[in-house]
Amino acid sequence: MKPALWLASAALAGLLAWWAWPRTALLPEAVAAGGQHLALPAAAPLPAASRPQGSPFTDAALRERLAQRDMLLQRLERARLTLATYRAQTVYPHESRPIGQHPDQVHPFAPITESLPLRFPGTKAAVPGVRILTTQDRVFMSGEEVVKVSVSAQDEAGKTLPLLVTRAVAFDLPDPRQVAGRPQLALNFTGSDGVYSAQFQPSQTAFADFAGTLRLQVTLSQDGKQGIVNFDVVYQPLVPAEWGAISDRAAEGSLDFLVGLNVKQAGRYVVTARVDDTKGAPFALVTFNDELGGGAQVARLRVFGKLLRDGAPAMPLRLRDLQGFLLLQDRFPDRAMLARREGVVHRSASYPLKGFSDAEWTSEERDRYLAELGKDVSQLEGQLARPSGP
Amino acid sequence: MQRQVLSRRLLAGLGIAVLAGATFATNYSLWINGRTGGGVAGNYADFSYWGPAGTAAGVNKKAVNWDGYNHISDQNYLIRNALDCYCTGTNWCYVAAHSAGDLMIGYTLSLYGGTSRYKKNATPGTDGSCANSDGTTQTGWNIKWVNVAAGAGGGSELANAGDWALSEPLVSDLKTGTARALYDHNNTRAKMFYMWAGAKGTLYSFVLPGQDDEVVAYHSSGGISGSGGGSYCNPSDWFCNDLTLGTAAAQGGKAKWSNHSVAFRDNGEAYNHYANGNWQGVVGLVRNDMVSFAK
Repeated sequence: MKPALWLASAALAGLLAWWAWPRTALLPEAVAAGGQHLALPAAAPLPAASRPQGSPFTDAALRERLAQRDMLLQRLERARLTLATYRAQTVYPHESRPIGQHPDQVHPFAPITESLPLRFPGTKAAVPGVRILTTQDRVFMSGEEVVKVSVSAQDEAGKTLPLLVTRAVAFDLPDPRQVAGRPQLALNFTGSDGVYSAQFQPSQTAFADFAGTLRLQVTLSQDGKQGIVNFDVVYQPLVPAEWGAISDRAAEGSLDFLVGLNVKQAGRYVVTARVDDTKGAPFALVTFNDELGGGAQVARLRVFGKLLRDGAPAMPLRLRDLQGFLLLQDRFPDRAMLARREGVVHRSASYPLKGFSDAEWTSEERDRYLAELGKDVSQLEGQLARPSGP
Repeated sequence: MQRQVLSRRLLAGLGIAVLAGATFATNYSLWINGRTGGGVAGNYADFSYWGPAGTAAGVNKKAVNWDGYNHISDQNYLIRNALDCYCTGTNWCYVAAHSAGDLMIGYTLSLYGGTSRYKKNATPGTDGSCANSDGTTQTGWNIKWVNVAAGAGGGSELANAGDWALSEPLVSDLKTGTARALYDHNNTRAKMFYMWAGAKGTLYSFVLPGQDDEVVAYHSSGGISGSGGGSYCNPSDWFCNDLTLGTAAAQGGKAKWSNHSVAFRDNGEAYNHYANGNWQGVVGLVRNDMVSFAK
């Protein structure tokens, strides 16, 4: 359809809808529900005698107008917050962030530690005065990776209690896509100072070709009282790529770490690493999330120029704790891991900070958001500014 | 008189239909369910998980149904379909999520939030997918903010302990360590996650640390960062760190995930986890907020 004809049709349709819409009042959903985010202030008492019934200046009408205005103010507050948050959070691109904004991503390979009650599933109480402390060094694993787990018992004061591992097995969790119920494997826990630990490497067991969740279930006895703890790992035999060489360069006002990959299976790769300053202080989290073809490829991890200018980290920078996986869309397991690269994997050259750009991130996405969220603020400000009020 | 009103409504509908086909901006309110599901996947009018479909729940409300049983990754296409339909081009969305729906939208934004999306026509077929509007693409989706009721983004100790059925794939995603390792929860693509945390839990208080709503503890419903759970409470409990309101770190110094803000903490221990098919529990509070702010 030609643009002029389309516009004319749309205008005609709009006029038609406006004319034809029933003039009888339809209760808006919002009014019908009457909910609000924050408590409305109580309407100030107004002298009633001076206002005739049915007037727009009756007590009820004025209270209604005050409530509407208060609601508009709250909506404006939310809209301004949404705009301000988005603007502040996108000064740097999503793939190049201050590490402080990702507090639990600073040390990704630190073991997961948890404290649990001692009990069996389904029981309505736990053994009083006993906490089971667990550690697990990974959840998602591929290929030849090994998971390490540990258990210990403490009293409420944190004193280690004696503990026995009475049974420890690994088995597959039911999955409708594959035959479940392979024979359980016994796990070997060894103890020292009340802490029992074990390692499990699926590739060296009958689960070498299994893709899914493996549960390590440990039955414990503390002073004759028993309970169970479960460790789950999501295993995928496929290792989709091997790491290659890493280099760095200044480009487009930013600093790029170029991580080489030998890709065996093409697809969407998610690669993440930490950037520390020369003394090892954590500075940034950098991410790559994009499609890669097969063969020799590069994942670009960019430290955005303005982030460098604002944070002024001491050069040279260190790239640390590199991790990556192939994202398998709409499947489970949804990823095939690359081998972890723990510790410092690359040191950059020393670049003068003034050589990097101090410009904010720009993109179609950011422009689109700032325009829409800014429009929301303007419209609400306009409604509040009208002489007739809301 | 009645006939005249009917004919006017018909004409109004005709006009609106023509306008809808054109590229006019429309806001939508998407509701993403949690464990157990209940609504028909792809039927955006089926609110049976939540409550009566006639109840107000934000502008142009749509039920983004998934089965609440299989893995987050298996079912995620249903959420991406809905976001493609209603949150691309000139259309914008507000999102509300309950329980495991938090894990679902967080996973979507963190892993797929920067992918290239075809702009869609907001007219879904029976499978819940929509046709392309003009063949162009955009980066990510148009989402203004996310409201979360009783969020399970940080998992539940009920999944850890084996209290839920082993045969349910979603349960293994909901183990606290697994849920927190599933994606970088701080990467919301700069969308605010407003968290509503209930505390009317009693049955499983010996399993769920700190305050809980009978399914999730405050460490999850309050968006506390970390690879494992922790114990957080209301200010009235002197022997436990407080879950703070807003984006500030919890008492004791543990940070919340970025862009996560506690909008409601259940000081009165009055709200549990369950919508009960009638917009109840913390879901009712989020519904109120959607009605007021999702316009």
